[in-house]
Amino acid sequence: MKLALVWVPLSILAAPLPKVDPPAGKRFLVIQPHHDDHTTDYGMGGLIARLTRMGYEGWFIRASNDEKDGAHGYPHNDMINLRESEAASRILGMKGVYSFNWRNDYMDPTPLLELRAQVILLIRKHRPDIVLGHDPWGHYDRNPDHRKVARACADAVWMAGLRNVHPEHFELGLEPWRVPHQFLKARVDYGRGHEANAAVELSEADVQRKMKAYSAHRNVYASPAMAKSVRAQLAAKGLKAPELDGMTDEQAAVRIEEWHMDWVSRQRGQENGVRYAEIYWYINEFAHLPGLESYIQKNAVKR
Amino acid sequence: MRLLILLILTLAAQARTVLVVTADASDFLLAAGGTIASMTARGDTAILLRVTNDEKNSWDLSPDETARRNGLECAEAAKLLGIGKVVSLGYREGELGGVSPTELRDRIMFYIRLHKPDVLFLPNPHAEYVEVLDRHYAGLAAEEASHTAALRNHQPPFAQVGLETHVTRELYYYAQPFDPRRREPESTATFVPQPKVSDIGAMLDRKIRAALALKTINHAVAMRIRDRLESTGRRLPLLDTVNDASVAKLTEINVRTLAGTGAKGTGFQSAEEFHYAGPDFGVPSKFRK
Ligand SMILES: [Zn+2]
Repeated sequence: MKLALVWVPLSILAAPLPKVDPPAGKRFLVIQPHHDDHTTDYGMGGLIARLTRMGYEGWFIRASNDEKDGAHGYPHNDMINLRESEAASRILGMKGVYSFNWRNDYMDPTPLLELRAQVILLIRKHRPDIVLGHDPWGHYDRNPDHRKVARACADAVWMAGLRNVHPEHFELGLEPWRVPHQFLKARVDYGRGHEANAAVELSEADVQRKMKAYSAHRNVYASPAMAKSVRAQLAAKGLKAPELDGMTDEQAAVRIEEWHMDWVSRQRGQENGVRYAEIYWYINEFAHLPGLESYIQKNAVKR
Repeated sequence: MRLLILLILTLAAQARTVLVVTADASDFLLAAGGTIASMTARGDTAILLRVTNDEKNSWDLSPDETARRNGLECAEAAKLLGIGKVVSLGYREGELGGVSPTELRDRIMFYIRLHKPDVLFLPNPHAEYVEVLDRHYAGLAAEEASHTAALRNHQPPFAQVGLETHVTRELYYYAQPFDPRRREPESTATFVPQPKVSDIGAMLDRKIRAALALKTINHAVAMRIRDRLESTGRRLPLLDTVNDASVAKLTEINVRTLAGTGAKGTGFQSAEEFHYAGPDFGVPSKFRK
Protein backbone atom coordinates (compact mmCIF):
# COMPACT_ATOMS: atom_id res chain seq x y z
CA MET A 1 0.00 0.00 0.00
CA LYS A 2 1.01 3.58 -0.52
CA LEU A 3 0.68 6.18 2.16
CA ALA A 4 -0.61 9.57 1.17
CA LEU A 5 0.75 11.96 3.77
CA VAL A 6 -1.39 14.93 2.90
CA TRP A 7 0.28 18.05 4.19
CA VAL A 8 -0.12 19.80 0.89
CA PRO A 9 -3.77 20.94 0.72
CA LEU A 10 -5.73 20.41 -2.47
CA SER A 11 -6.31 24.09 -3.03
CA ILE A 12 -4.86 24.05 -6.50
CA LEU A 13 -6.95 25.42 -9.35
CA ALA A 14 -9.26 22.91 -10.95
CA ALA A 15 -8.56 23.86 -14.57
CA PRO A 16 -5.33 22.44 -16.01
CA LEU A 17 -2.54 24.96 -16.38
CA PRO A 18 -0.87 25.60 -19.72
CA LYS A 19 2.02 23.18 -20.13
CA VAL A 20 5.33 24.92 -20.59
CA ASP A 21 8.42 23.19 -21.93
CA PRO A 22 11.64 24.66 -20.60
CA PRO A 23 13.17 26.78 -23.36
CA ALA A 24 16.33 25.59 -25.05
CA GLY A 25 19.47 27.01 -23.50
CA LYS A 26 22.81 26.28 -21.92
CA ARG A 27 22.87 27.33 -18.29
CA PHE A 28 20.57 27.89 -15.35
CA LEU A 29 20.93 29.19 -11.81
CA VAL A 30 18.80 28.23 -8.85
CA ILE A 31 18.81 31.03 -6.29
CA GLN A 32 17.29 30.27 -2.89
CA PRO A 33 17.95 31.14 0.72
CA HIS A 34 18.29 27.64 2.11
CA HIS A 35 20.12 24.39 1.47
CA ASP A 36 16.91 22.48 0.65
CA ASP A 37 14.73 25.05 -1.14
CA HIS A 38 15.62 23.50 -4.50
CA THR A 39 14.49 20.04 -3.45
CA THR A 40 11.54 20.36 -1.03
CA ASP A 41 8.00 19.29 -1.84
CA TYR A 42 7.13 22.82 -2.93
CA GLY A 43 10.50 23.02 -4.61
CA MET A 44 11.90 22.41 -8.00
CA GLY A 45 13.88 19.17 -8.08
CA GLY A 46 11.91 17.75 -10.98
CA LEU A 47 12.44 20.74 -13.23
CA ILE A 48 16.13 20.83 -12.33
CA ALA A 49 16.44 17.14 -13.23
CA ARG A 50 14.65 17.80 -16.50
CA LEU A 51 16.96 20.71 -17.35
CA THR A 52 20.17 18.79 -16.67
CA ARG A 53 18.71 15.89 -18.68
CA MET A 54 18.28 18.40 -21.55
CA GLY A 55 22.01 19.20 -21.33
CA TYR A 56 21.78 22.35 -19.24
CA GLU A 57 24.62 23.28 -16.86
CA GLY A 58 23.18 24.30 -13.48
CA TRP A 59 24.46 25.93 -10.31
CA PHE A 60 22.75 26.37 -6.96
CA ILE A 61 23.13 29.53 -4.87
CA ARG A 62 22.41 29.10 -1.16
CA ALA A 63 22.11 32.62 0.25
CA SER A 64 22.00 31.81 3.97
CA ASN A 65 24.22 29.62 6.15
CA ASP A 66 21.40 27.35 7.38
CA GLU A 67 22.88 27.37 10.87
CA LYS A 68 19.46 26.96 12.51
CA ASP A 69 18.14 24.07 10.46
CA GLY A 70 18.92 20.78 12.19
CA ALA A 71 19.78 19.51 15.64
CA HIS A 72 23.58 19.79 15.63
CA GLY A 73 24.22 23.36 16.73
CA TYR A 74 24.89 26.37 14.55
CA PRO A 75 28.32 25.71 12.99
CA HIS A 76 27.66 22.01 12.50
CA ASN A 77 24.25 22.58 10.94
CA ASP A 78 25.83 25.03 8.52
CA MET A 79 28.48 22.55 7.38
CA ILE A 80 26.26 19.46 7.35
CA ASN A 81 23.49 21.24 5.45
CA LEU A 82 25.96 22.60 2.90
CA ARG A 83 27.43 19.14 2.34
CA GLU A 84 23.98 17.61 1.94
CA SER A 85 22.94 20.42 -0.37
CA GLU A 86 25.95 19.67 -2.56
CA ALA A 87 25.02 15.99 -2.59
CA ALA A 88 21.40 16.77 -3.50
CA SER A 89 22.54 19.12 -6.26
CA ARG A 90 24.83 16.44 -7.67
CA ILE A 91 21.96 13.93 -7.69
CA LEU A 92 19.98 16.45 -9.77
CA GLY A 93 22.91 16.77 -12.16
CA MET A 94 24.03 20.24 -11.13
CA LYS A 95 27.64 21.41 -11.20
CA GLY A 96 27.89 22.85 -7.71
CA VAL A 97 26.76 25.12 -4.92
CA TYR A 98 27.71 28.69 -4.05
CA SER A 99 27.04 29.69 -0.47
CA PHE A 100 26.72 33.36 0.45
CA ASN A 101 26.53 32.46 4.15
CA TRP A 102 24.19 35.21 5.29
CA ARG A 103 22.84 34.54 8.77
CA ASN A 104 20.03 32.01 8.56
CA ASP A 105 16.52 33.28 9.38
CA TYR A 106 18.00 36.71 10.17
CA MET A 107 18.00 38.05 6.62
CA ASP A 108 15.50 40.86 7.17
CA PRO A 109 18.33 43.26 8.05
CA THR A 110 20.59 41.89 5.31
CA PRO A 111 21.30 44.86 3.02
CA LEU A 112 19.17 44.22 -0.05
CA LEU A 113 21.52 45.98 -2.43
CA GLU A 114 24.56 44.02 -1.22
CA LEU A 115 22.79 40.72 -1.60
CA ARG A 116 21.55 41.79 -5.02
CA ALA A 117 25.07 42.76 -6.07
CA GLN A 118 26.26 39.23 -5.26
CA VAL A 119 23.50 37.74 -7.39
CA ILE A 120 24.17 40.17 -10.25
CA LEU A 121 27.86 39.21 -10.24
CA LEU A 122 27.06 35.49 -10.57
CA ILE A 123 24.38 36.14 -13.19
CA ARG A 124 26.97 37.99 -15.26
CA LYS A 125 29.53 35.21 -14.71
CA HIS A 126 27.17 32.37 -15.71
CA ARG A 127 24.81 34.19 -18.12
CA PRO A 128 21.90 31.86 -17.31
CA ASP A 129 19.05 31.36 -19.77
CA ILE A 130 16.83 30.43 -16.83
CA VAL A 131 16.71 31.40 -13.19
CA LEU A 132 14.71 29.26 -10.79
CA GLY A 133 13.80 31.01 -7.58
CA HIS A 134 11.26 32.01 -5.00
CA ASP A 135 8.19 34.03 -5.94
CA PRO A 136 8.59 37.50 -4.40
CA TRP A 137 4.82 37.99 -4.51
CA GLY A 138 3.85 34.88 -2.55
CA HIS A 139 1.65 35.72 0.43
CA TYR A 140 2.08 34.66 4.05
CA ASP A 141 5.68 33.50 3.79
CA ARG A 142 6.80 33.68 7.38
CA ASN A 143 10.47 33.28 6.58
CA PRO A 144 12.39 36.55 6.19
CA ASP A 145 15.10 34.85 4.11
CA HIS A 146 12.59 33.81 1.46
CA ARG A 147 11.25 37.34 1.16
CA LYS A 148 14.68 38.97 1.06
CA VAL A 149 16.28 36.59 -1.43
CA ALA A 150 13.20 36.65 -3.69
CA ARG A 151 13.26 40.45 -3.75
CA ALA A 152 16.98 40.60 -4.46
CA CYS A 153 16.62 38.12 -7.32
CA ALA A 154 13.59 39.86 -8.80
CA ASP A 155 15.78 42.95 -9.21
CA ALA A 156 18.96 41.14 -10.16
CA VAL A 157 17.56 39.20 -13.12
CA TRP A 158 16.94 42.36 -15.14
CA MET A 159 19.35 44.81 -13.57
CA ALA A 160 22.29 42.52 -14.43
CA GLY A 161 21.50 43.51 -18.02
CA LEU A 162 22.09 47.23 -17.49
CA ARG A 163 25.48 48.72 -18.23
CA ASN A 164 25.11 51.40 -15.55
CA VAL A 165 24.59 48.81 -12.80
CA HIS A 166 27.79 47.72 -11.02
CA PRO A 167 30.11 48.81 -13.84
CA GLU A 168 33.03 47.51 -11.74
CA HIS A 169 32.11 44.00 -12.94
CA PHE A 170 33.13 44.93 -16.46
CA GLU A 171 36.74 45.30 -15.29
CA LEU A 172 36.71 41.50 -15.07
CA GLY A 173 35.70 41.11 -18.69
CA LEU A 174 32.10 40.34 -17.73
CA GLU A 175 29.26 41.78 -19.79
CA PRO A 176 25.68 42.82 -18.99
CA TRP A 177 23.24 39.91 -19.09
CA ARG A 178 19.50 40.05 -18.67
CA VAL A 179 18.01 36.70 -17.58
CA PRO A 180 15.31 35.86 -20.13
CA HIS A 181 13.30 33.16 -18.34
CA GLN A 182 12.25 32.60 -14.74
CA PHE A 183 10.44 29.75 -13.01
CA LEU A 184 9.25 30.82 -9.57
CA LYS A 185 7.87 28.79 -6.69
CA ALA A 186 6.37 29.66 -3.37
CA ARG A 187 5.17 27.47 -0.55
CA VAL A 188 2.02 25.87 -1.88
CA ASP A 189 0.51 25.61 1.57
CA TYR A 190 0.66 29.37 2.19
CA GLY A 191 -2.54 30.90 0.85
CA ARG A 192 -3.46 32.15 -2.56
CA GLY A 193 -0.66 34.66 -3.03
CA HIS A 194 1.23 32.42 -5.36
CA GLU A 195 -0.86 31.10 -8.19
CA ALA A 196 0.92 29.02 -10.74
CA ASN A 197 0.52 29.90 -14.41
CA ALA A 198 2.39 26.93 -15.90
CA ALA A 199 2.83 23.19 -15.44
CA VAL A 200 6.11 21.51 -16.35
CA GLU A 201 5.83 17.84 -17.23
CA LEU A 202 8.35 15.49 -15.62
CA SER A 203 9.53 12.05 -16.65
CA GLU A 204 9.59 9.14 -14.22
CA ALA A 205 13.40 9.43 -14.13
CA ASP A 206 13.11 13.13 -13.22
CA VAL A 207 10.83 12.23 -10.32
CA GLN A 208 13.19 9.46 -9.17
CA ARG A 209 16.08 11.93 -9.03
CA LYS A 210 13.89 14.47 -7.29
CA MET A 211 13.00 11.87 -4.64
CA LYS A 212 16.64 10.90 -4.11
CA ALA A 213 17.78 14.52 -3.94
CA TYR A 214 15.17 15.33 -1.34
CA SER A 215 16.19 12.47 0.90
CA ALA A 216 19.82 13.56 0.69
CA HIS A 217 18.93 16.22 3.28
CA ARG A 218 19.14 13.74 6.17
CA ASN A 219 19.93 16.46 8.69
CA VAL A 220 16.43 17.89 8.36
CA TYR A 221 14.26 15.24 6.72
CA ALA A 222 13.62 11.54 7.03
CA SER A 223 13.67 11.59 10.80
CA PRO A 224 13.47 8.05 12.25
CA ALA A 225 11.06 9.41 14.88
CA MET A 226 8.61 10.28 12.09
CA ALA A 227 8.75 6.70 10.72
CA LYS A 228 8.28 5.31 14.23
CA SER A 229 5.23 7.49 14.73
CA VAL A 230 3.71 6.59 11.35
CA ARG A 231 4.16 2.88 12.13
CA ALA A 232 2.60 3.36 15.57
CA GLN A 233 -0.40 5.17 14.12
CA LEU A 234 -0.96 2.44 11.55
CA ALA A 235 -0.61 -0.28 14.18
CA ALA A 236 -3.20 1.47 16.35
CA LYS A 237 -5.66 0.99 13.48
CA GLY A 238 -4.57 -2.61 12.91
CA LEU A 239 -2.75 -1.64 9.70
CA LYS A 240 0.80 -1.81 8.44
CA ALA A 241 2.74 -0.78 5.35
CA PRO A 242 4.22 -4.03 3.93
CA GLU A 243 6.82 -2.12 1.90
CA LEU A 244 8.38 -0.94 5.15
CA ASP A 245 8.74 -4.48 6.54
CA GLY A 246 12.28 -5.28 7.58
CA MET A 247 13.41 -1.67 7.34
CA THR A 248 14.96 0.26 10.20
CA ASP A 249 13.09 3.43 11.21
CA GLU A 250 15.80 5.39 9.42
CA GLN A 251 15.32 3.48 6.16
CA ALA A 252 11.54 3.62 6.52
CA ALA A 253 11.67 7.38 7.02
CA VAL A 254 13.54 7.84 3.74
CA ARG A 255 11.02 5.62 1.97
CA ILE A 256 8.06 7.55 3.39
CA GLU A 257 9.58 10.89 2.34
CA GLU A 258 10.11 9.47 -1.16
CA TRP A 259 6.47 8.41 -1.34
CA HIS A 260 5.45 11.91 -0.48
CA MET A 261 7.60 13.40 -3.24
CA ASP A 262 6.23 10.85 -5.69
CA TRP A 263 2.67 11.64 -4.56
CA VAL A 264 3.14 15.41 -4.92
CA SER A 265 4.52 15.00 -8.43
CA ARG A 266 1.67 12.64 -9.41
CA GLN A 267 -0.90 14.96 -7.88
CA ARG A 268 0.35 17.96 -9.87
CA GLY A 269 0.48 15.75 -12.96
CA GLN A 270 -3.09 14.53 -12.47
CA GLU A 271 -4.36 18.09 -12.10
CA ASN A 272 -2.70 19.03 -15.35
CA GLY A 273 -3.39 16.06 -17.57
CA VAL A 274 0.02 14.35 -17.43
CA ARG A 275 1.56 11.67 -15.26
CA TYR A 276 4.02 13.83 -13.32
CA ALA A 277 4.36 17.59 -13.09
CA GLU A 278 5.53 20.57 -11.09
CA ILE A 279 3.81 23.94 -11.24
CA TYR A 280 5.38 27.38 -11.41
CA TRP A 281 4.88 31.05 -11.97
CA TYR A 282 6.70 31.26 -15.28
CA ILE A 283 7.98 34.58 -16.63
CA ASN A 284 9.03 34.49 -20.25
CA GLU A 285 11.60 36.61 -22.04
CA PHE A 286 9.23 39.46 -22.97
CA ALA A 287 6.65 39.29 -20.16
CA HIS A 288 8.15 42.48 -18.71
CA LEU A 289 6.76 44.37 -21.74
CA PRO A 290 2.99 43.79 -21.43
CA GLY A 291 2.30 46.21 -24.29
CA LEU A 292 4.79 44.58 -26.66
CA GLU A 293 4.97 40.90 -25.76
CA SER A 294 2.23 39.74 -28.11
CA TYR A 295 3.53 41.90 -30.96
CA ILE A 296 7.03 40.46 -30.61
CA GLN A 297 5.79 36.86 -30.36
CA LYS A 298 3.69 37.38 -33.47
CA ASN A 299 6.21 39.23 -35.61
CA ALA A 300 9.65 37.91 -34.68
CA VAL A 301 11.14 35.72 -37.40
CA LYS A 302 14.24 33.56 -37.79
CA ARG A 303 17.27 35.47 -39.02
CA MET B 1 -22.03 83.62 -24.22
CA ARG B 2 -23.15 84.17 -20.65
CA LEU B 3 -23.78 80.46 -20.38
CA LEU B 4 -20.32 79.71 -21.67
CA ILE B 5 -18.74 82.06 -19.11
CA LEU B 6 -20.84 80.45 -16.41
CA LEU B 7 -19.68 77.03 -17.54
CA ILE B 8 -16.05 78.10 -17.53
CA LEU B 9 -16.47 79.65 -14.09
CA THR B 10 -18.12 76.48 -12.78
CA LEU B 11 -15.34 74.33 -14.18
CA ALA B 12 -12.69 76.66 -12.79
CA ALA B 13 -14.37 76.50 -9.42
CA GLN B 14 -14.17 72.74 -9.56
CA ALA B 15 -10.63 72.65 -10.89
CA ARG B 16 -8.67 70.27 -8.77
CA THR B 17 -5.05 69.82 -7.84
CA VAL B 18 -3.63 66.48 -8.94
CA LEU B 19 -0.37 65.14 -7.53
CA VAL B 20 1.22 62.28 -9.46
CA VAL B 21 3.88 60.20 -7.72
CA THR B 22 6.05 58.09 -10.01
CA ALA B 23 9.15 56.02 -9.35
CA ASP B 24 10.55 56.64 -12.81
CA ALA B 25 10.04 58.57 -16.00
CA SER B 26 7.85 56.07 -17.82
CA ASP B 27 5.62 54.25 -15.34
CA PHE B 28 3.08 57.01 -14.58
CA LEU B 29 2.79 57.74 -18.28
CA LEU B 30 2.25 54.19 -19.50
CA ALA B 31 -0.12 53.25 -16.66
CA ALA B 32 -2.02 56.50 -16.08
CA GLY B 33 -1.03 59.11 -18.70
CA GLY B 34 -4.39 59.18 -20.48
CA THR B 35 -6.38 59.69 -17.30
CA ILE B 36 -4.04 62.42 -16.09
CA ALA B 37 -4.32 64.14 -19.49
CA SER B 38 -8.10 64.05 -19.33
CA MET B 39 -7.98 65.75 -15.93
CA THR B 40 -5.63 68.52 -17.05
CA ALA B 41 -7.77 68.96 -20.18
CA ARG B 42 -10.75 69.79 -17.99
CA GLY B 43 -8.77 72.39 -16.08
CA ASP B 44 -7.13 70.50 -13.24
CA THR B 45 -3.63 71.49 -12.18
CA ALA B 46 -1.19 68.57 -12.13
CA ILE B 47 2.22 68.20 -10.51
CA LEU B 48 4.55 65.26 -11.08
CA LEU B 49 6.74 63.97 -8.25
CA ARG B 50 9.43 61.75 -9.76
CA VAL B 51 11.29 59.75 -7.16
CA THR B 52 14.40 58.50 -9.01
CA ASN B 53 16.82 59.94 -11.54
CA ASP B 54 16.47 57.17 -14.16
CA GLU B 55 20.24 57.27 -14.52
CA LYS B 56 20.48 53.59 -15.51
CA ASN B 57 17.77 53.43 -18.14
CA SER B 58 19.53 53.90 -21.47
CA TRP B 59 21.13 51.56 -23.94
CA ASP B 60 24.73 52.78 -23.85
CA LEU B 61 24.94 56.22 -22.27
CA SER B 62 26.84 57.11 -19.10
CA PRO B 63 24.82 57.51 -15.91
CA ASP B 64 25.28 61.31 -16.08
CA GLU B 65 24.07 61.59 -19.63
CA THR B 66 21.27 59.08 -19.06
CA ALA B 67 19.99 61.03 -16.05
CA ARG B 68 20.23 64.34 -17.91
CA ARG B 69 18.34 63.15 -20.97
CA ASN B 70 15.70 61.20 -19.06
CA GLY B 71 15.10 64.23 -16.85
CA LEU B 72 14.54 66.51 -19.82
CA GLU B 73 12.46 63.97 -21.70
CA CYS B 74 10.31 63.20 -18.67
CA ALA B 75 9.63 66.93 -18.27
CA GLU B 76 8.66 67.14 -21.94
CA ALA B 77 6.35 64.11 -21.66
CA ALA B 78 4.73 65.57 -18.55
CA LYS B 79 4.17 68.87 -20.34
CA LEU B 80 2.44 67.06 -23.20
CA LEU B 81 0.06 65.52 -20.65
CA GLY B 82 -0.69 68.99 -19.32
CA ILE B 83 1.33 68.56 -16.14
CA GLY B 84 2.50 72.03 -15.11
CA LYS B 85 5.37 71.17 -12.83
CA VAL B 86 7.83 68.31 -12.33
CA VAL B 87 9.68 67.81 -9.06
CA SER B 88 12.48 65.23 -8.84
CA LEU B 89 13.45 63.73 -5.51
CA GLY B 90 16.76 62.60 -6.98
CA TYR B 91 17.07 59.04 -5.68
CA ARG B 92 19.15 56.56 -7.64
CA GLU B 93 17.24 54.28 -9.93
CA GLY B 94 16.88 50.69 -8.76
CA GLU B 95 18.04 51.56 -5.27
CA LEU B 96 14.82 52.46 -3.45
CA GLY B 97 14.99 49.05 -1.75
CA GLY B 98 17.93 50.47 0.18
CA VAL B 99 16.28 53.77 1.11
CA SER B 100 14.57 54.29 4.47
CA PRO B 101 10.84 53.89 3.75
CA THR B 102 10.08 56.53 6.37
CA GLU B 103 12.44 59.04 4.79
CA LEU B 104 10.82 58.52 1.40
CA ARG B 105 7.33 58.66 2.91
CA ASP B 106 8.00 61.92 4.69
CA ARG B 107 9.45 63.57 1.60
CA ILE B 108 6.31 62.65 -0.33
CA MET B 109 4.20 63.80 2.61
CA PHE B 110 5.97 67.18 2.42
CA TYR B 111 4.69 67.65 -1.12
CA ILE B 112 1.20 66.46 -0.22
CA ARG B 113 0.99 69.06 2.53
CA LEU B 114 2.56 71.70 0.27
CA HIS B 115 0.26 71.23 -2.71
CA LYS B 116 -2.82 69.88 -0.89
CA PRO B 117 -3.94 67.73 -3.80
CA ASP B 118 -7.55 66.71 -4.32
CA VAL B 119 -6.35 63.72 -6.31
CA LEU B 120 -3.26 61.59 -5.78
CA PHE B 121 -1.91 59.14 -8.35
CA LEU B 122 0.44 56.58 -6.85
CA PRO B 123 2.10 53.37 -8.06
CA ASN B 124 0.03 50.49 -6.68
CA PRO B 125 2.35 48.77 -4.19
CA HIS B 126 -0.04 45.81 -4.01
CA ALA B 127 0.10 45.09 -7.74
CA GLU B 128 1.96 41.81 -8.12
CA TYR B 129 4.60 40.75 -10.62
CA VAL B 130 5.68 44.33 -11.30
CA GLU B 131 9.24 43.91 -12.46
CA VAL B 132 10.64 47.26 -11.35
CA LEU B 133 10.53 47.12 -7.56
CA ASP B 134 11.25 50.86 -7.25
CA ARG B 135 7.59 51.20 -8.20
CA HIS B 136 6.58 49.00 -5.29
CA TYR B 137 8.71 50.92 -2.77
CA ALA B 138 7.62 54.32 -4.09
CA GLY B 139 4.01 53.13 -3.96
CA LEU B 140 4.30 51.96 -0.35
CA ALA B 141 5.81 55.30 0.65
CA ALA B 142 3.17 57.30 -1.22
CA GLU B 143 0.35 55.23 0.24
CA GLU B 144 1.63 55.82 3.75
CA ALA B 145 2.24 59.49 3.00
CA SER B 146 -1.35 59.97 1.88
CA HIS B 147 -2.34 58.76 5.33
CA THR B 148 0.26 60.52 7.49
CA ALA B 149 -0.23 63.82 5.65
CA ALA B 150 -3.55 64.03 7.46
CA LEU B 151 -2.14 63.30 10.92
CA ARG B 152 -1.00 66.22 13.05
CA ASN B 153 1.52 64.22 15.08
CA HIS B 154 3.54 63.21 12.06
CA GLN B 155 6.52 65.45 11.40
CA PRO B 156 5.66 68.24 13.90
CA PRO B 157 8.27 70.55 12.28
CA PHE B 158 6.18 70.62 9.11
CA ALA B 159 3.39 72.40 10.97
CA GLN B 160 5.95 74.93 12.29
CA VAL B 161 6.69 76.03 8.73
CA GLY B 162 3.09 76.22 7.64
CA LEU B 163 2.64 72.77 6.16
CA GLU B 164 -0.75 71.96 7.62
CA THR B 165 -2.35 68.53 7.59
CA HIS B 166 -4.21 67.54 4.48
CA VAL B 167 -6.67 64.83 3.50
CA THR B 168 -6.47 63.73 -0.14
CA ARG B 169 -9.96 62.81 -1.21
CA GLU B 170 -9.28 60.68 -4.25
CA LEU B 171 -6.55 58.09 -4.73
CA TYR B 172 -5.74 56.43 -8.03
CA TYR B 173 -3.46 53.41 -7.57
CA TYR B 174 -1.94 52.67 -10.94
CA ALA B 175 0.17 49.85 -12.40
CA GLN B 176 0.89 48.41 -15.79
CA PRO B 177 -1.05 45.16 -16.32
CA PHE B 178 1.25 42.56 -14.76
CA ASP B 179 -1.00 41.36 -11.97
CA PRO B 180 -3.34 38.57 -13.12
CA ARG B 181 -5.73 39.43 -10.27
CA ARG B 182 -5.77 43.18 -10.85
CA ARG B 183 -9.46 43.23 -11.81
CA GLU B 184 -10.62 41.29 -8.76
CA PRO B 185 -12.49 43.39 -6.21
CA GLU B 186 -10.82 44.11 -2.92
CA SER B 187 -12.73 43.42 0.23
CA THR B 188 -12.00 45.22 3.46
CA ALA B 189 -14.31 46.82 5.97
CA THR B 190 -12.80 50.28 5.89
CA PHE B 191 -10.24 51.24 3.31
CA VAL B 192 -11.51 49.98 -0.01
CA PRO B 193 -9.74 51.02 -3.19
CA GLN B 194 -11.67 49.10 -5.83
CA PRO B 195 -10.91 48.32 -9.46
CA LYS B 196 -11.88 51.17 -11.76
CA VAL B 197 -11.42 51.54 -15.48
CA SER B 198 -11.04 54.96 -17.02
CA ASP B 199 -11.90 55.65 -20.67
CA ILE B 200 -8.96 57.36 -22.37
CA GLY B 201 -10.23 57.21 -25.96
CA ALA B 202 -10.19 60.99 -26.35
CA MET B 203 -6.69 61.23 -24.88
CA LEU B 204 -4.96 58.32 -26.59
CA ASP B 205 -3.21 60.44 -29.23
CA ARG B 206 -1.97 62.77 -26.56
CA LYS B 207 -0.72 59.86 -24.49
CA ILE B 208 1.15 58.49 -27.51
CA ARG B 209 2.74 61.90 -28.18
CA ALA B 210 3.85 62.08 -24.57
CA ALA B 211 5.28 58.55 -24.68
CA LEU B 212 7.24 59.46 -27.82
CA ALA B 213 9.02 62.17 -25.85
CA LEU B 214 10.77 59.50 -23.75
CA LYS B 215 13.30 58.96 -26.52
CA THR B 216 16.16 57.57 -24.44
CA ILE B 217 14.04 54.97 -22.66
CA ASN B 218 12.17 54.00 -25.84
CA HIS B 219 15.46 53.54 -27.69
CA ALA B 220 16.77 51.35 -24.86
CA VAL B 221 13.62 49.20 -24.96
CA ALA B 222 14.02 48.72 -28.72
CA MET B 223 17.71 47.86 -28.45
CA ARG B 224 17.11 45.35 -25.67
CA ILE B 225 14.43 43.60 -27.70
CA ARG B 226 16.68 43.52 -30.74
CA ASP B 227 19.64 42.30 -28.72
CA ARG B 228 17.65 39.48 -27.12
CA LEU B 229 16.22 38.34 -30.45
CA GLU B 230 19.60 38.56 -32.17
CA SER B 231 21.30 36.46 -29.49
CA THR B 232 18.74 33.71 -30.13
CA GLY B 233 18.83 33.81 -33.93
CA ARG B 234 15.70 35.90 -34.42
CA ARG B 235 14.82 39.37 -35.65
CA LEU B 236 11.88 41.73 -35.57
CA PRO B 237 11.54 43.26 -39.05
CA LEU B 238 10.42 46.58 -37.51
CA LEU B 239 13.76 46.80 -35.68
CA ASP B 240 16.08 45.83 -38.53
CA THR B 241 17.00 49.49 -38.44
CA VAL B 242 16.67 51.08 -35.04
CA ASN B 243 16.08 54.76 -35.72
CA ASP B 244 13.66 57.47 -34.58
CA ALA B 245 10.92 56.17 -36.87
CA SER B 246 11.11 52.50 -35.86
CA VAL B 247 11.41 53.34 -32.16
CA ALA B 248 8.41 55.65 -32.47
CA LYS B 249 6.39 52.91 -34.16
CA LEU B 250 7.31 50.44 -31.40
CA THR B 251 6.35 52.98 -28.73
CA GLU B 252 3.02 53.60 -30.38
CA ILE B 253 2.30 49.86 -30.53
CA ASN B 254 3.15 49.65 -26.83
CA VAL B 255 0.78 52.46 -25.80
CA ARG B 256 -2.05 51.25 -28.04
CA THR B 257 -1.76 47.66 -26.82
CA LEU B 258 -1.74 48.75 -23.19
CA ALA B 259 -4.85 50.85 -23.85
CA GLY B 260 -6.53 47.86 -25.47
CA THR B 261 -5.62 45.63 -22.51
CA GLY B 262 -7.06 48.22 -20.12
CA ALA B 263 -10.28 48.37 -22.14
CA LYS B 264 -10.75 44.60 -22.37
CA GLY B 265 -14.25 43.62 -21.31
CA THR B 266 -15.39 47.19 -20.61
CA GLY B 267 -16.94 48.41 -23.87
CA PHE B 268 -14.33 51.16 -24.17
CA GLN B 269 -11.82 51.18 -27.02
CA SER B 270 -8.94 52.50 -24.94
CA ALA B 271 -8.69 52.57 -21.19
CA GLU B 272 -6.49 52.53 -18.12
CA GLU B 273 -7.00 50.36 -15.06
CA PHE B 274 -6.74 51.56 -11.49
CA HIS B 275 -7.59 50.74 -7.96
CA TYR B 276 -9.55 53.77 -6.86
CA ALA B 277 -10.55 55.14 -3.49
CA GLY B 278 -13.00 58.04 -3.73
CA PRO B 279 -14.19 60.63 -1.22
CA ASP B 280 -16.21 58.09 0.77
CA PHE B 281 -13.33 55.71 1.41
CA GLY B 282 -12.75 57.30 4.79
CA VAL B 283 -16.14 56.06 5.97
CA PRO B 284 -16.23 52.37 6.82
CA SER B 285 -18.47 50.59 4.33
CA LYS B 286 -20.74 49.30 7.11
CA PHE B 287 -21.69 52.90 7.98
CA ARG B 288 -22.10 54.21 4.46
CA LYS B 289 -25.74 53.20 3.95
ZN1 LIG C 1 13.70 27.92 2.62
